[in-house]
Amino acid sequence: MGKTFRRGGRRTVALAGASLDVGAGELVCLLGPSGCGKSTLLRIVAGALAADEGEVTVDGQRVAGPSPDRGMLFQSPLLFPWLTTKKNVLFGPLAQRAAGLHERDDPELEAGAVGILATVGLGGFGDAFPHELSGGMQHRAAFARALATRPSLLLMDEPFGALDAITRSRMHEFLIDVRQQYQTTIIFVTHDIEEAVLLGDRVAIMGGRPPGIRHIIDVPLDRPRSTLDIDTDSFTAVKRKIRASLEG
Amino acid sequence: MAGWNTLPLSIEEWTAIAAAADQEEFAAYRRERRQARTRRLLTGLVSIVVLLVAWEIAAVLLNDPVILPTVTATVHAFLHYLTHPYPAQAPPLWWDLVVSLRRILIGFVIGVILGVALGAAMFANRVIRHAIDPIIEIIRPLPPLAFIPPLIVWFGIGELPKEVLLVFGVVPIMTIATVAALGEVPEDLRLCARTLGATRRYTLFHVQLRSALPAIIIGMRISMAGAWTSIVAAEMLAATSGIGYLISEAGDYLNMSIVFAGIIAIAVIGLVLDALLRGLLLIADPSRRS
Repeated sequence: MGKTFRRGGRRTVALAGASLDVGAGELVCLLGPSGCGKSTLLRIVAGALAADEGEVTVDGQRVAGPSPDRGMLFQSPLLFPWLTTKKNVLFGPLAQRAAGLHERDDPELEAGAVGILATVGLGGFGDAFPHELSGGMQHRAAFARALATRPSLLLMDEPFGALDAITRSRMHEFLIDVRQQYQTTIIFVTHDIEEAVLLGDRVAIMGGRPPGIRHIIDVPLDRPRSTLDIDTDSFTAVKRKIRASLEG
Repeated sequence: MAGWNTLPLSIEEWTAIAAAADQEEFAAYRRERRQARTRRLLTGLVSIVVLLVAWEIAAVLLNDPVILPTVTATVHAFLHYLTHPYPAQAPPLWWDLVVSLRRILIGFVIGVILGVALGAAMFANRVIRHAIDPIIEIIRPLPPLAFIPPLIVWFGIGELPKEVLLVFGVVPIMTIATVAALGEVPEDLRLCARTLGATRRYTLFHVQLRSALPAIIIGMRISMAGAWTSIVAAEMLAATSGIGYLISEAGDYLNMSIVFAGIIAIAVIGLVLDALLRGLLLIADPSRRS
């Protein structure tokens, strides 16, 4: 798969030769420095950008545009500031009903939203507005909103990059826990080696010129993992291998 | 390698503790915002009282009701002429206020609707934007009052020229505010709505325009202030009714307590209208609520 941006006669190859198969329930990290094409790749999978070469298929269906089947989480939580936490979670189901994708009634949707908020630890905050929540809580709310449409694939674009180290660590534990519960397939973009090893089943190393996927490295560590595993020898060994691959 | 079971707390326990801490933090945050609001209102009140006391002292020292009437005389004139006609043959002050207010509301509402529609069209279509932008940029810095003579020639001295004048003043501000507000909506917010299953149309109305609404309302507050300036000036130049006409008449007879009563009436109504728009802003943008 490839992508070339043309602007004022100048062509910039943003992505070339990126080929990746992600299995159901798998978490693959896209790891690389800025400008390595990882965000471009994620946006092509989301359907926000069209690939010039190649194609993306999810469950055998060719991707032609954004779809609720592929949820997306960004570096900023991007909650709708005018809606309460619960109404943020309800946005997807209500928008889908307006588009005629389902006919579930209000009480059913409401019950679903309340349930999801409880699983992300925001049970008491359904009526709070986003600005009243802490950074970590906002990310959990964004997570709940993305899960509410029951996506088969979750695309995460450096979702915890703007958080402080402690909150970030809590979000890692949270993500590991949510994955256990929902078995969602995830593509996770990051430039943090440790995060990639902690969360990923496989890590796709991106970079080069033109940018693309260079190597795909398995993370042979037991699951579910926790942040306590980070300082173990086997964890460090995987980190070392990835670092070598990034530099090589 | 340390496994999952060596975590000091289970996920359930951890979640419960985190939620309790979150609840406390949340209550403290709301308490703090309430206190900050009370402090702000008290400070503002003190500053208005100081201003009124300074005016009263100055008026008493000058001792000349033509140069500066006292606060008490002004309030007295305001209350008296609110219900009694001045000059003898004209309607009372409240009627002039109603006349001015009606002109403002008609011109303002039409101007806002036109401005937002034009701004949205300019945002959505590059050709429209490039065609309209220079026209707006030419009209925007012109004082609306410069249009009074041609408006009188075209539309006479009835209600229509005043409303057209207000529309002239409001449309450029609202157009610019709307284009800017829509431009400020993050592209990822649109993408986010689309990945949640919203159609393009649903996203435009429920996310892009909704997200732009607070900035559009701020544009309305600026337009409203400008609309008052224009209408009062227009009434002083070419009208036989309205609060501007009353001030101009009273000024001709050096009846300053009525002039000041009229100014206070404008200030009060201006404050009320702005408060309504601020109320609207609070409804549109919860993060401004304290």
